[in-house]
Amino acid sequence: MAEALSAAAGLFLSPTRLGMLVLGSGVGLLIGILPGMGGIVAAAILLPFMLKLEPAAALAMVTGALAVVHTSDTITSVLIGAPGSAAAVPTMMEGHPMARRGEAARALAAAYLSSLVGGIIGALGLTVSIPLARPLVLSFGSPELFMLTVLGVSFAGSLLGREPLKGLSAGLLGLLLGTVGPAPAAAEVRFAFGQVYLTDGIDLALVALGLFGVAEVVSLLARGGAVAQRMELGRGWWQGVLDVWQHRWLVIRGALIGMWAGVLPAIGATAGTLMAYGHAVATSRDRSRFGKGDVRGIIAPEAANNAVEAGDLVPTLLFGVPGGAPSAMILGALLAYGILPGPRIVTQHLDLIYTVVWSFALANVLGAGVMFATSPLLARLTYVPFNRIAPPIVLAMVLAAFQETQHFGDLVSLVALGVAGYALKVTGWPRGPLLIGFVLSNPLERYYFLTVNLYPRPEDWLLRPGVVVIGLLVVAPFVWSAFRWLREGTRTRRETPRQPAGASAVATAVVLGVFGYAWWTARGFLPDAALMPVSVAAAGTVLTAVQLARELRGQGSPVTDEDEVEAEPGAVRERVRRAVAYLVSLALYVAATWFLGLRWASVLWSLWVLVGVARVRWPTAVAYAALMVVGLDLLASLLGVHLPEGRLRL
Amino acid sequence: MTSRLLWVVVLVAALGALPASGQQPYYAGKTIEIIVPFAPGGGSDIDARFFAPFLEKYVPGNPRVVVRNMPGGGSILGANFFAENARPDGTQLLTTSGSTMIPYILGVPQVRYDPTKWELIKVNGVGGVLYVSPRTGVRKPEDLVRPAERLVYGGISATGLDLVTLLLFEVLGLDVRVVMGFEGRGPARLAFERGETNIDYQTTPAYLSQVVPLVREGKAIPILSMGFVNEKGVMVRDPSAPDLPSAYEAYQAIFKRKPDGLLRWKAYQSMVAAAFTFQKALWAPGGTPPEALQALRTAVDRMKADPQFRQQGRQVLEGYEVLRGDVAKSAVLRAARVTLDVKKYITDLLRSKYQVRL
Repeated sequence: MAEALSAAAGLFLSPTRLGMLVLGSGVGLLIGILPGMGGIVAAAILLPFMLKLEPAAALAMVTGALAVVHTSDTITSVLIGAPGSAAAVPTMMEGHPMARRGEAARALAAAYLSSLVGGIIGALGLTVSIPLARPLVLSFGSPELFMLTVLGVSFAGSLLGREPLKGLSAGLLGLLLGTVGPAPAAAEVRFAFGQVYLTDGIDLALVALGLFGVAEVVSLLARGGAVAQRMELGRGWWQGVLDVWQHRWLVIRGALIGMWAGVLPAIGATAGTLMAYGHAVATSRDRSRFGKGDVRGIIAPEAANNAVEAGDLVPTLLFGVPGGAPSAMILGALLAYGILPGPRIVTQHLDLIYTVVWSFALANVLGAGVMFATSPLLARLTYVPFNRIAPPIVLAMVLAAFQETQHFGDLVSLVALGVAGYALKVTGWPRGPLLIGFVLSNPLERYYFLTVNLYPRPEDWLLRPGVVVIGLLVVAPFVWSAFRWLREGTRTRRETPRQPAGASAVATAVVLGVFGYAWWTARGFLPDAALMPVSVAAAGTVLTAVQLARELRGQGSPVTDEDEVEAEPGAVRERVRRAVAYLVSLALYVAATWFLGLRWASVLWSLWVLVGVARVRWPTAVAYAALMVVGLDLLASLLGVHLPEGRLRL
Repeated sequence: MTSRLLWVVVLVAALGALPASGQQPYYAGKTIEIIVPFAPGGGSDIDARFFAPFLEKYVPGNPRVVVRNMPGGGSILGANFFAENARPDGTQLLTTSGSTMIPYILGVPQVRYDPTKWELIKVNGVGGVLYVSPRTGVRKPEDLVRPAERLVYGGISATGLDLVTLLLFEVLGLDVRVVMGFEGRGPARLAFERGETNIDYQTTPAYLSQVVPLVREGKAIPILSMGFVNEKGVMVRDPSAPDLPSAYEAYQAIFKRKPDGLLRWKAYQSMVAAAFTFQKALWAPGGTPPEALQALRTAVDRMKADPQFRQQGRQVLEGYEVLRGDVAKSAVLRAARVTLDVKKYITDLLRSKYQVRL
């Protein structure tokens, strides 16, 4: 192993390879910044170039890109509230409120440093575990993987928010949303409403972009002004560094959670990051700041999402089983070089593996360094009136959504999910549990059926030591809460002021309708396709019915568009009204795309925002819009995306 | 005399094929787009991205070749898009896989494409190897019918490539507990390695890289190959696993007679052809101008002579030959057009044993 390590160092320290590594990291950083685009896009852009290089240089390049996409996707997540990728959602949930308080610099510094440490830990873990990883991975059978998904779902328990009933229902809603598409254990496509588009299920990137990105952009536009209200750059940087030092064990735990989520099949990058976030919340004594900009909620997931990429390389290289699409593309490139992943790679290509590891570590250092250097500049974006930077951001999100499958359905889904996301946001439905439910719904159902079908007698799997241990981990927090509740009684319960039932009750009623409809429909599915949606929808129906009853009795919470409570009800109503107008404008934008094509629709929408709302003068606005469309075209041609043409040929 | 005549004919044909002086090649300055109806990183995506630079190099006029992923509906969405929207001028091509052909053959209602109306550019295939765990006591095909423990197979879904394996179990009369729901053949293989299943198949490339080491350690025993259907429509041994008996030979070993004429054998063999032997096909829309088809198909021949193509293709193509579209077309279409009794047999089997409603 030592021999391979030094051989790899020799391979690695050639100017071309280092050059390729820098190039790859640059592409990774740029793609990471664009909302909704991540490793897949970066790998797709680099692949044609890779095949022209020698293997070590090509691997250095693509590893460099994958290593840093989760470093730079922090930018849009923190500054704009549009998650750079699905795995950046926790960073957005905590970092964006910090940016609005004027603490963007602190949030970014903490995020980069945690990313860096997470990446290094991931690379170290990879180095150590490669000789051991095979038996370790094989020791996790289907029952253990099933229990791990259960554990993941239980992490949502710490993210329930002010109204636990709503939090639980949101988690169930996420699980239900995840059942759209093919059932894993039976030949049935569920909830597709006759649309071929829905038969593969709803795309995760679209869910993150819609529920979080669109909802946040619309809400910022409606609020008017800049992202941050207070100018406080100064010592924020240093504070962020101190935060990471103060919570150093949390960084390490986050990185380890992320790495394992990458190594084991079934969990995946996004769920691993969310689990690290849930872990940060669960292990904190004072949870009151979470969701309102708590730096601990940035540190853990940022450490995790860089480590996840390192962990992901283990099954890819050792088993030829890629954990995600980016590593699947690396696999394809390796094949073209005649390098076969699998058991023999450890004996035959160990030097290449360590090239990957070294590249991964170095790219993380590079990426964090570049981001540190450029961020004081980028943080100033939070002081620009938001309606002037919104058009390019929305255009980038639309392109990111459309490159998913390049069907019109992508655009419709984006706006529909955006409307749902905004509605949930203002009526106090926590979207964290929803996202956890969504990403784990399929693995949960899949591994449940695999477990019970591969181990027909329950005692065969329920008594496996791994299952028992993970089971205890799942149950422990609940036992602990129950114990505390018994000891402290209901003393801590707050009296909430009575609220007249309003928009919030309407939202609850709509969710109740969704659950009820799903319950009714799912009963007609094949038994193995029905179990999951029926149980989720039934539980959801009961919980939301109770919630609706509470709200009708005046025990709900008021409509807010902020976590800050100082806003007056009248002002809130006005903002919501404006946000609805923006959502309608986005729907019109998509409709206009159908008739005029994406270019013209984008120009029209941008001009409307720039001239109509931001009061930019016409010549400037036209030049700005033209520039954006040129950029859109350039990016699209790089991605192999055809911008949709309109039905009316112009 | 005859040989001289032949030379004249060849010379005239060659002259005819040359573009007239000063005339631009058809593809000069054009961009070819290969639509891949799957997400990036899958087998079809790798195949398309492998061929793209060689098409750029060998199609006269050196067009730019780009890959466009349009996943959805298990490739039905992208194939439908191609059938309904593709320009018939040779600038839009489609890659299909076995999982694009199976729904077409079974007549799945969402399918709005008909490959028999398209023009085939190239096709290359893959094989499959069936292997078992030593615990089953199975050493050779004959043992499959009396294993030491119940056979358990991990599959993805009955209407995908697993259909071929399910038909094989029918042909050989095996009693196998089939557990569907794995997210891919890779995770299914991990379940085999963990001992959760004891019979599994992998496509031959995955078999050679992932399972052969297990075979050396005594953790897996290869039993048979799914077989390869040659241009005459006869099942032969898998060219990449020539030491293993094909399913055809396995049947003979178990039942001491040939399977020809049996309905379930016809069903199995046509599915092997459609899903494995002709797995990765590249198509142009019907009505594409002949000069475009000619340029693309000749490019296939020319790239096959390129040492770089052969060297890089060793892993991607795994020793399977790339066939030029006009050569392979009739065999591919024969595989796509199954007789009504075969179709009925398959749909009945899926309905009665695997609860699939088509």
